[in-house]
Amino acid sequence: MTALLPPPLPDEVHDRVPVEPRADCVADSAGGLTFDLADLGRPGAAYLLLRLRERQPHGAGHTETRLPLTPAADGRLRAVLPSSVQLAEGRWDVYADHGDAAPRRLAPGVNDLRSLVDRMPSGTRPHIAVRIPYATKHGNLTVRAWHRAPHAEAGELLIDGAGLTVRGRLLGAPLTPAGYAELRARTPEGDSPGQAARRVELGGSGGEFGLTVGYAELADAPGIWDLWLLPQGAQGPQARVARLLDDVADKKPIFTYPAVRTGPVAVGPYYTRDNDLSLRVTEAG
Amino acid sequence: MHISFLIHNAYGIGGTIRTTYNLANTLAEQHDVEVVSVYRHRAEPVFQVDPRVRVRHLVDIRKGTPGYEGDSPEYRRPAHAFPRAEGRFHQYNALTDRRIADHLATAEADVLVGTRPGLNVHIARQARRGPLRVGQEHLTLDSHSTALRTQLRGVYPRLDALTTTTEADAAAYRSKMRLPGVRVDAMANPVPAPGVAPADGTGKWVVAAGRLAPVKRYDLLIRAFDQVRAQRPDWRLRIYGGGKQKDRLRALIDELGLYNHVFLMGPAHPIDPEWAKGSIAAVTSSLESFGMTIVEAMRCGLPVVATDCPHGPGEIIDNGVDGRLVPVGDVRAIAGGLLELINDDDKRGRMSAAALVDSQRFDPARIAERYESLFTDLTARGPAGPLGRFRGSLHRTRGAMLGGAYAVRDAGRTALRKGRTA
Repeated sequence: MTALLPPPLPDEVHDRVPVEPRADCVADSAGGLTFDLADLGRPGAAYLLLRLRERQPHGAGHTETRLPLTPAADGRLRAVLPSSVQLAEGRWDVYADHGDAAPRRLAPGVNDLRSLVDRMPSGTRPHIAVRIPYATKHGNLTVRAWHRAPHAEAGELLIDGAGLTVRGRLLGAPLTPAGYAELRARTPEGDSPGQAARRVELGGSGGEFGLTVGYAELADAPGIWDLWLLPQGAQGPQARVARLLDDVADKKPIFTYPAVRTGPVAVGPYYTRDNDLSLRVTEAG
Repeated sequence: MHISFLIHNAYGIGGTIRTTYNLANTLAEQHDVEVVSVYRHRAEPVFQVDPRVRVRHLVDIRKGTPGYEGDSPEYRRPAHAFPRAEGRFHQYNALTDRRIADHLATAEADVLVGTRPGLNVHIARQARRGPLRVGQEHLTLDSHSTALRTQLRGVYPRLDALTTTTEADAAAYRSKMRLPGVRVDAMANPVPAPGVAPADGTGKWVVAAGRLAPVKRYDLLIRAFDQVRAQRPDWRLRIYGGGKQKDRLRALIDELGLYNHVFLMGPAHPIDPEWAKGSIAAVTSSLESFGMTIVEAMRCGLPVVATDCPHGPGEIIDNGVDGRLVPVGDVRAIAGGLLELINDDDKRGRMSAAALVDSQRFDPARIAERYESLFTDLTARGPAGPLGRFRGSLHRTRGAMLGGAYAVRDAGRTALRKGRTA
């Protein structure tokens, strides 16, 4: 035995400590959210403040939304974010604003998102609105928002040796005979134009769509390929294929799929940080 | 009553910590309750603490704060009072020895409750005359090494009571540890009512939650779900939790082509809203020291399909009434249990309703009542007054002597065995 012992390492040294106060959040199936938090007894009007985390340098448009906090039956304060209030796509940090000091960042309490699981929008609206509250890695409450018109919701992904078959739902734009899908090579901003888009046949009816990407066609094209639908052809609206209609804010680590070796490359689908569906083609070592 | 819990670290996250607060918060409605934490590594506890519960620490290891004691020379010297064979021995030292001993020599409490073997040993040996000495075992006797069992056997007879989380484990302590005069009672872990409405049973999801560790046998659950999918491709499985098995389980999901049906969700806090999204819970462990997730799921209205492993599931689930027990390690049986509930909506609904009712016995109020009556009984057994105190100390002395004798014999045995193998 050595005389010096290693210092004790409590198991949980690295956990995140949530900061008070906490907000409980309940989602409804239409995309609305209700926030409940403890009434701190401060005088004056109180608001729930949603602040869009800026990613784009131009940062134009509405980047704050203020919802009145009103007394609820159980001595708590309640704010409602109906699906009709439009939120730009992105991450909206949640604060309590009592007007007397700097707004206080809220920590997540109980997020009851059961009505978002396996969500089936009616399809009668031209757009879909998705808001999923989640705990950030620092233990704060943030709402992830998407707004898509039209929207192509990915369902099951079927992978075999030859390629990837995607089945899903098309919302906000009917499929016409002119419709097709497209793989677009992603190029870092400022780079010279990358490879030309690759056309993929698109089938389906009654709001459903299906397509198959043959992996052999990508064997010569290492890189990232984003999957788009053009349900009414080149002149019509475009829909990025994504998986948005459930309770999982970040699909990437959870919805993962195997890559398949095809000639000199390995090809596999994955969800991006924005829950969009892309294919990664890497040169196999 | 003044009740004082002694815990390794009341500022962390873990089953014992959560259980201790659930119990302390409830006992505080009637009693004077404190939680004494050997360590403090952060400013505030993570779990919700009733304002009536006092929480304090003995050794401060918050780096960069004025109270930081991790540089003390005593902190670097090995512990003597804390048993060497205990799993956390390397985290204890001369400083914890001294602080814990000082605390126990002066504690004002009527009841001292230890929450792990090493701290139970401190209480058994060092508590001043007077308070009841109660040791809690959150793990099971058969999970302790032979060396630890030998050490505990020499000391535990000085306790007034020892609690286990299951009847099976209580029986093991009674029969294998020879604890004369020590009351050994099973005390289930308290599980509060969830903060969300119960599941409505319509979601076609099976939910499991726990560390991704080999003992949980999630590999069996995934293989069983392959059989479920063959019959009911509309149902899917979510497994919450993190751990070292993640890559292995991920590979198994991909190998079986279950990536549209089985999802590794990562850790979730709190877990109740995740249970509420499912309609059936699954536990496929080879061993459960209690089976906390079974109770949690039931409190959210989920019937649980669980392996009938030692020690907890069979004591929690009323087989066929509020859940289904299946043989350990049997993929086909696990799939059969899940399909039985998936294919019969009425049965699932009945079991769900029964699970809600039956799991109320784990409510903190009910468990706290059981602790209260234990403490009251023990106090009555050795009441204040010269005779009572004399009897109390006599039983302790006798127990310690007997335990000591067994320990000597055990040590002899170990030495003999070592001699043979050498």
